[in-house]
Amino acid sequence: MQTPMIIDSHTHVDRVGWYDPPETIIRLMDEAGIAKSIIMTYGEAPDAEGSIEYIAQAVERYPHRLIGYARMHPGRGHEAHHLFRKAMEEYGFKGLKLHPVGSLCHPAEAETLDMIRLATRYHAPVLFHCGDEELTLPLQVAQAAESCPEATIILGHMGGYFHWRDAIRVAERCPNIVLDTSALPYPRAIKEAVDRLGSSRVLYASDGPGCDPSIEVHKVRLAGLAAQDEDAVFHHSIQVILDRVTISGER
Amino acid sequence: MIVDSRVYLGSCLFGYGQSVDEVLSNMDRLGIDRAVLAPVKPPQYRLGPANDLVAECVAQHPDRLVALCRVDPWQGEASVTEVRRCLGELGACGLYLDPWEENFQVNEDIVLPLVEEAGHHSRPVVVNGGHVRVSHPTQIWDLARRFPDVQIVAGNGGQINICGMLLSETRRMLEACPNVVIDTAGTYREDFLEEIVTEVGEERVLFASGSPVYDQEFEMARVRLAHLNATQKAKVWGSNALAAFGIPAGCD
Repeated sequence: MQTPMIIDSHTHVDRVGWYDPPETIIRLMDEAGIAKSIIMTYGEAPDAEGSIEYIAQAVERYPHRLIGYARMHPGRGHEAHHLFRKAMEEYGFKGLKLHPVGSLCHPAEAETLDMIRLATRYHAPVLFHCGDEELTLPLQVAQAAESCPEATIILGHMGGYFHWRDAIRVAERCPNIVLDTSALPYPRAIKEAVDRLGSSRVLYASDGPGCDPSIEVHKVRLAGLAAQDEDAVFHHSIQVILDRVTISGER
Repeated sequence: MIVDSRVYLGSCLFGYGQSVDEVLSNMDRLGIDRAVLAPVKPPQYRLGPANDLVAECVAQHPDRLVALCRVDPWQGEASVTEVRRCLGELGACGLYLDPWEENFQVNEDIVLPLVEEAGHHSRPVVVNGGHVRVSHPTQIWDLARRFPDVQIVAGNGGQINICGMLLSETRRMLEACPNVVIDTAGTYREDFLEEIVTEVGEERVLFASGSPVYDQEFEMARVRLAHLNATQKAKVWGSNALAAFGIPAGCD
């Protein structure tokens, strides 16, 4: 039987804090049979100096395995916008990562919406950390999705341990919301998300290397999805999103 | 030897639950030798009958199951009496505290007589851990430091914060409290479990599924796929639980 292609929509590399060089995620990808992973740092640019370049270098080193997202601090205005444009246009990044616990920026405050709209010019997805913490709850991120209906908003961790039902509910309300499966411990939540939203709006992700990609793959398989849906979750749904990304932002 | 250190039995007020037949069937299917059963909070809110149910099931399957007793600290002296009954008459192997579902902070004064009673019986105390505001690792730490001779099992790895903010806090708690171990159910990040086993101590982590709240088969994958050596895995799978709960190794 042919092993399905897997793209991991949410992993990390960084050289500060939690030290995870690209080789760590590559090793775990090999163990799990994962073809490609989307990588981002733990810190926000531009405060995390050199973080964009670090991702760019990792992608350059493993061009067939790694895809870059720029993790940005929306409160840093022009400097953040300039760096994000550089990431997209010079380094070929494919998306924006926002972590409101890191930046302390509400998902729907003006600076955040400006950042999301900048990403949308490139048709780039916006991946939010979306868990159980203040500023990251599904009902908070949904406010951004409603304010920017043209944006593709991904709820990373699909609401965490206690808010996955909220994540599914806001995704039912907002057609521009997509869920990623990383780290939450419930295969049944993945099944329910696919049943209610369709597999085109659910993405396999691990949050590796902290969360083991092999275990996260196993979790999706335990969800008991139809083969076609599993294939979509493992790679097709994110591939459709990535294929829309343009290298130059429409002004 | 695989011991699932926390499995819930009964029909719960909050909509989850499983029968003893389901517990045993899943154990057989997944290759689990023994399970430590904790009562759920029943729709009637009465934990005494729930303790009786668990004890009856254990009596019918003593080679597979052991019991934890569960009490609500807000019941005051009656809860201490119930702990005494369960650890004495019913033969429970430990006390289970659920600060999340019984709505108390685990380091509150009302909890102390219960832990003291468990200590009198030389029995461990299992805490549904990692719930911010009621069983935060610092609160478990505060409880554990007051009872250095009582074995505390912090469930859910002591932290279920998907942001990773409690990983280092839980490690600090474990380093400060040699009487605390963690169970693996629902834990955020497998590299955290590997770090605790390899850097803090091979005896400090017990496999538990927390089923049916968590998926038993998925929870087993955390240990099966862990980057640990065979000796370390054997301890996490079972021998650490045998020691923590005082289960004779040769029972089966």
